[in-house]
Amino acid sequence: MSEASASAHALDHHEPVTSTGIPNKKVLMWAFLGSDCMFFGTLISTHLIYRKISATVGGNFLDIRDIFDIELTSFSTFILLASSLFMALAVSAIHKGNLSSTRWMLFGTIIFGLIFLACQVYEFTHFVQPPDPQHALTLSTYGGEPHVFGSTFYVLTGTHGTHVAIGVFWLLGWLAYSFTGKMSTADALDIECCGLYWHFVDIVWIIIFPVIYLMEYAF
Amino acid sequence: MSGHSEDPIAEESKRFFTFFNLSMLLVAITGIEIVIIYVQTFDGASIIGVLFATSIVKFVGVVTWFMHLKWDKILNTILFLMGLVIAVFTFFAVIYMSDDPPKVIEFNVASVENDWSADAGYSSGDYVKIDDSYFLCLSDHSSPSPSPTEKSSSPTWEKVNGVPHEFNWKVSTGDLIEINSLKPENPFFHHYNPVVSVENDWSAETDYSSGDYVKIDDSYFLCLSDHSSPSPSPTEKSSSPTWEKVNGVPHDNDNIEGSLISVLEKKASTEDFRIKVRSEAFWVENN
Repeated sequence: MSEASASAHALDHHEPVTSTGIPNKKVLMWAFLGSDCMFFGTLISTHLIYRKISATVGGNFLDIRDIFDIELTSFSTFILLASSLFMALAVSAIHKGNLSSTRWMLFGTIIFGLIFLACQVYEFTHFVQPPDPQHALTLSTYGGEPHVFGSTFYVLTGTHGTHVAIGVFWLLGWLAYSFTGKMSTADALDIECCGLYWHFVDIVWIIIFPVIYLMEYAF
Repeated sequence: MSGHSEDPIAEESKRFFTFFNLSMLLVAITGIEIVIIYVQTFDGASIIGVLFATSIVKFVGVVTWFMHLKWDKILNTILFLMGLVIAVFTFFAVIYMSDDPPKVIEFNVASVENDWSADAGYSSGDYVKIDDSYFLCLSDHSSPSPSPTEKSSSPTWEKVNGVPHEFNWKVSTGDLIEINSLKPENPFFHHYNPVVSVENDWSAETDYSSGDYVKIDDSYFLCLSDHSSPSPSPTEKSSSPTWEKVNGVPHDNDNIEGSLISVLEKKASTEDFRIKVRSEAFWVENN
């Protein structure tokens, strides 16, 4: 479908009537996001509780700020927030039938998502192999001493990173599809579901960033 | 929730500004969070409160506008909130169920500085000081007390090598306590299990309250309701609502107080020691 015909059909795409008045795909996506809330809620709770219980390592207070790079994490947070803007604009553009804009916004979201992932990979590498080995954070140790912080931290942030990676693949699929000439406003609902997923990944990070990172600097 | 206008394309165009403004707001709030952390103007609890509030604002902003809940039907909000509410309640439930960490209420260490006096009576285990020497009393005796001397062969006093110190502590709860010296040149380590088992023999003439434990032979019983004497006898097969047999030995490990006298090589003070208290999964220390 050409962009002109896509525009002509803009916002004239009707989904099958459902008993809820909401497309089933969208209901399903919201239900999934609700369940994912519980998933991340459990991971965040686990991290915070073990942070409280196992506050020391080798007899000293575990000061994780020794390895945290708050500037880098802040930068990746801004990147993820910006990607959400691109995603919202991509959904808006496909609703209006503006395929060119949709494509660019999807591309921007993907790039920012990849930058976020690159920051996370750099961060994890830096944590496992820091300049000072006494601050090395692995899955089961900190500075060579057994500690649970690495387990809860990597599982939580790694699970979030996996969600971002899945989102990037999903968006890449839509970007590739946009070049086939088959994309139309009829796909708006599917892209909107993809957008819901991406925004959810963003709000999870909105919680993780202050709770897991910034709170370490509060005391 | 539903807000479709006459011209959906114009409506979508308006949303561009909404999304852009929201995005700028999110960036600004995140910047404020980071500045608060760097500046550290407030105390820790206030910073956490601010971070909590800003996170909620950002969360609500994204969910309401970016995720279109403002314009969608209420069912989507309900579906999402169900998971969110369960997650939040799970978090608080787990926090509530987790044990409170123990607190070191009091901990002090001081050298024993009792100057010997001929007019005083002493008990076995007492330490006295004469000049810079310390002596341990080996047997109870009343005044006049025989003088401790370094070469004394008396069975009353024994010179000790080092300085006797008294350790006193009080902790809110715990099942293991460790005290160790922070100075390697003045070694000290004390490790013990402070759990005290309840050993109250049951008596018919005693009043009991709900929660009291009593012992009969090798069995322990928990009082289920307040009652005055004569107390009904707890029996293993009793169907009485007054007593319930418990499996194992009931322990009391709240408000633990302890003291100890130990001879150290050198004179030391509280700052030279560390006390560590374990309560279930917590390890708390004070030095």
